[in-house]
Amino acid sequence: MRSRKINITPYFLVAPAFLIMLGVVFVPVAKAILMSFQNYDLRRPNSLKFIGIGNFIEIFHDPLFWDAFVRTLLWVGFGVGLQFLFGFILALILNQKFSGRGIVRAVSLIPWCTPGVLIGLMWRWIYDGNYGVLNDILIRLHIIDEKVPFLAQTNTAFPSVIATIVWQGIPFFALMILAGLQGVSQEMYEAADVDGASRFQKLFKITVPSIKNTIFITLLLRIIWVANSVDLIMNMTEGGPAYSTQTLSIYIFNKANVLNMGYAAAISLILTLMLSLAAVPYLRKRFKEEKV
Amino acid sequence: MKKLLAVLAVLALSISSLTGCGGSTKEESATPKETANAPAENNSADTKDAKSEEETASKETTLTYWYWADNSDYSNKMQEIVKEFNETNKSGITIKAEEQPWDGGAYSQNLFTAAMGGGGPDIATWKLTATPLFTANNLLAELDGYIEKWADKDDIDANLYNIMKQAGGSDKTYVMPWNTQVLYVYYRPSMFKEVGIEVPKTYEEFLTACEKLTRDTDGDGKIDVYGFGMRGAKGGQEPWGSFIHGRGGSFEDFTTDQAVKGMEDFMNLYKKGYVPPTAPADGFNEIIANFKSGRTAMTIHHTGSSAGMVETFGEDVAAFPFPKGDGQWTSMGDTENVIFEKCKDKEAAFEFVSYMAAGKGQQVWCETTGNVPVSKRVQAMPVFQDNKFMKASIEGVSYAGILPILDTTTEWVSTIWPNTISQALSGEITAKEAMETLQKELYK
Amino acid sequence: MSRNKDTMARRIFSIYLPLSALMLFLLFPFYWTFITSIKPESELYGSVVTYWPQHATFASYIKLFGEFNFLKSMTNSFVVAASSTVVSLLVSMLAAYAFSRYRFKGRKLLMIIFLTNNMFPTVLLLIPLYTIMRSLSILYTPLALVLAYTTFTIPFSVWLLNGYMNDLPQSLEEAALIDGANRFYAFIKIVLPVLVPCLIATGVYIFMTAWNEYTFAVMFTNESNRTIPVALKNLIGQLGVQWDLLTAGGIITIIPVCVMFFFAQRRLVEGLTAGAEKG
Repeated sequence: MRSRKINITPYFLVAPAFLIMLGVVFVPVAKAILMSFQNYDLRRPNSLKFIGIGNFIEIFHDPLFWDAFVRTLLWVGFGVGLQFLFGFILALILNQKFSGRGIVRAVSLIPWCTPGVLIGLMWRWIYDGNYGVLNDILIRLHIIDEKVPFLAQTNTAFPSVIATIVWQGIPFFALMILAGLQGVSQEMYEAADVDGASRFQKLFKITVPSIKNTIFITLLLRIIWVANSVDLIMNMTEGGPAYSTQTLSIYIFNKANVLNMGYAAAISLILTLMLSLAAVPYLRKRFKEEKV
Repeated sequence: MKKLLAVLAVLALSISSLTGCGGSTKEESATPKETANAPAENNSADTKDAKSEEETASKETTLTYWYWADNSDYSNKMQEIVKEFNETNKSGITIKAEEQPWDGGAYSQNLFTAAMGGGGPDIATWKLTATPLFTANNLLAELDGYIEKWADKDDIDANLYNIMKQAGGSDKTYVMPWNTQVLYVYYRPSMFKEVGIEVPKTYEEFLTACEKLTRDTDGDGKIDVYGFGMRGAKGGQEPWGSFIHGRGGSFEDFTTDQAVKGMEDFMNLYKKGYVPPTAPADGFNEIIANFKSGRTAMTIHHTGSSAGMVETFGEDVAAFPFPKGDGQWTSMGDTENVIFEKCKDKEAAFEFVSYMAAGKGQQVWCETTGNVPVSKRVQAMPVFQDNKFMKASIEGVSYAGILPILDTTTEWVSTIWPNTISQALSGEITAKEAMETLQKELYK
Repeated sequence: MSRNKDTMARRIFSIYLPLSALMLFLLFPFYWTFITSIKPESELYGSVVTYWPQHATFASYIKLFGEFNFLKSMTNSFVVAASSTVVSLLVSMLAAYAFSRYRFKGRKLLMIIFLTNNMFPTVLLLIPLYTIMRSLSILYTPLALVLAYTTFTIPFSVWLLNGYMNDLPQSLEEAALIDGANRFYAFIKIVLPVLVPCLIATGVYIFMTAWNEYTFAVMFTNESNRTIPVALKNLIGQLGVQWDLLTAGGIITIIPVCVMFFFAQRRLVEGLTAGAEKG
């Protein structure tokens, strides 16, 4: 409420980004949303018609949907949670001075710059129940006696793919948080040292509050990314065995792949709403703080 | 309402900024064109069409051909075949062959996306299962007229044409035969000798062989060799079908007592430990690796892998057709070629696909890949007659079949079958329940 | 120095031990990829797992560059990823600055649109996107990929940069504004230098996304401009995986990115010192 005159500068600044986005995805997204209210199965193009919330009713009676729903919560919860934890630790370490830091920083990004195709195959190879190196290591360490077919059993497949997504996401958080840490004023630490604050006090009283915006936004964006990711699971298990690694995004992918677009779009809409819901507390807090 | 106005304001502003200042990027200037998508699309298509028509007039045609290759040698061979075709054909046809990833079968979906988006190739390598989807959307060219006029028409078995027709769901032909793969059982003669068994003559004997061949060879109390390499992941429905038919079941009704009995046999192999414990997730790569490393004594595949087998084992690998029980069946894999409806010179395109079906292309490709030729002339060539694996394939031809090709087949093969089977193998559901699910989902 | 009370033992526990554990986890698969790429097939499926090949072979690397022209895919990938990074970073920075430092009508709604844009699974958008690229006549050119990647990295980058900017104290540029500088000058001279680490981090994110993307790449490119993920995927046929070529390709892909980042990361710390000098 600083002035009643409309300042057009911010609109100019936002315009390029907004237009690229609008131009490319607006029509496709609108089409997809429309599809979710249609019996849009391209395998049967002659019976396409508007069916209102028919897809959604079917979804609510679909046990595979509910399985995938719960699994998505676990996938995001454990996947993003552990990525964040380890990524944060790595960022704190990489922010300290030690010899060879530059090289360590560079190589710690490796999981992130590996194409998904290769990640999926490599981890499948590591987990392999016959020739896999993980089994070999665990047997040598006497943790197991018999080889475990990690990706062939319903109770081990899902934890295995979660471990892989954690592996892949650690560098992301490490880098993002490391960048955020560069903005934290050194003077505050020095003042805290004078007061005799412990390491943990400094961590939770200075570091975390100073980069909280970065933490929240990277978490939120990562949640969205991980919830939507299909590359890794598709390359490792394709959602099996016995649907034990089928998250909502995989379910959508599989349905869209066989061209049952309406059903896939309806699940997508639900997933999008779930993610929006996850964003609401953050947005609320953000916008409220801005008012002050 | 206020917010809506604001958005409109932003829009108006940004559009004026576009026209106003010249410093807009390429992406931005492209945007307004996109919003008027439908007409723009037609225009660009029209210009393209006009271009290719011109080319036809001057008797020079360039056609795009999409194919996938199972390894890089095959890919090189394909480029050679196409090159030779381009140089030798008398109609001024140039084929531009572009490799696409197989991507576990997503090849067909990518092809569909491109075709629906108005692009894609003129000709493409094909899997029959994709046919209903494409014909339902009128994307494929009907070939009957061209086949009728084709001199080598009878070089291909009439039965094959029929299978192609069935896949399209009508009495029209949209798919041109190219090559087939008939599944048979690979086995290790040395291992058979060690446990003292003969090549199984009946289905029952086959099951017994699986049991007998499962052994602890070094006495450490752990199984070292499994009788059979089971494919439980995608693609496993093909060998699995032999078990269902072995008890007299069929694909028309999965829920008959015979079919369920076959399913129980299949599950027992896993539950009793005659197959590696990784079976539910094992795909092609794993069953072949397990067989090659000596971890399994038998596995089911086709001639496509025979060159590698011989390379590994020399003489210590052989094949037998899947034996007869109350019924007998083996899966016939397939690869074909199709011409798209949008192709402007179908005559030229047909010349190429017929070159692949019965000409030099047929011979060279089958020699390289070890696939079974569809051309009788090529089949009769000594290279194919003197090969023991090819022999097992050709023996199987009389009872080889395919899954019913319906519009549900792709989904059934890619997600329903593998997941339902692993549910059954892990004991979550019974054989009967699994078969009921399979029935329901295929005939939806 | 505040670090002078750190004893060696303490450094071991706070740095070297956790770092070694994390690096082992992060790098072992990479090591294993490399080992796989130089193992002959017989050893790959041997009964004993070897941690260093008995008969190392570099044949796959030679094949990759000779027969395969892998270098071309790498160049394509690099061009696409670098262009996407520049375009996306530039427009995102402007938008993020507007969201962070201005209050205007429709701002919240726009921010929400940016956020939700990232939520919809892309697999459903493929057919219409293909049509769009085709009607723009940029299908099968690198531009199609740049446009697609830019679209999907902008929202993320805007929010990320916005987060970083909000963590920067407003006082930084306010001092300059009071001194009579205009906003543009304040942004270039004050905000931008401090923002360098964040721009690098965001840039790396955009680059990686473009570098690794497969679904769009397979649809919007053809033989002449295939990117690495597609070239790698071509090595997995119906008749199995060509392990040697695939893993060798992976290793070759990873190394240049690491080297690039090794040089980029130096700037990660420079931002702060630069800002401190100005302040």
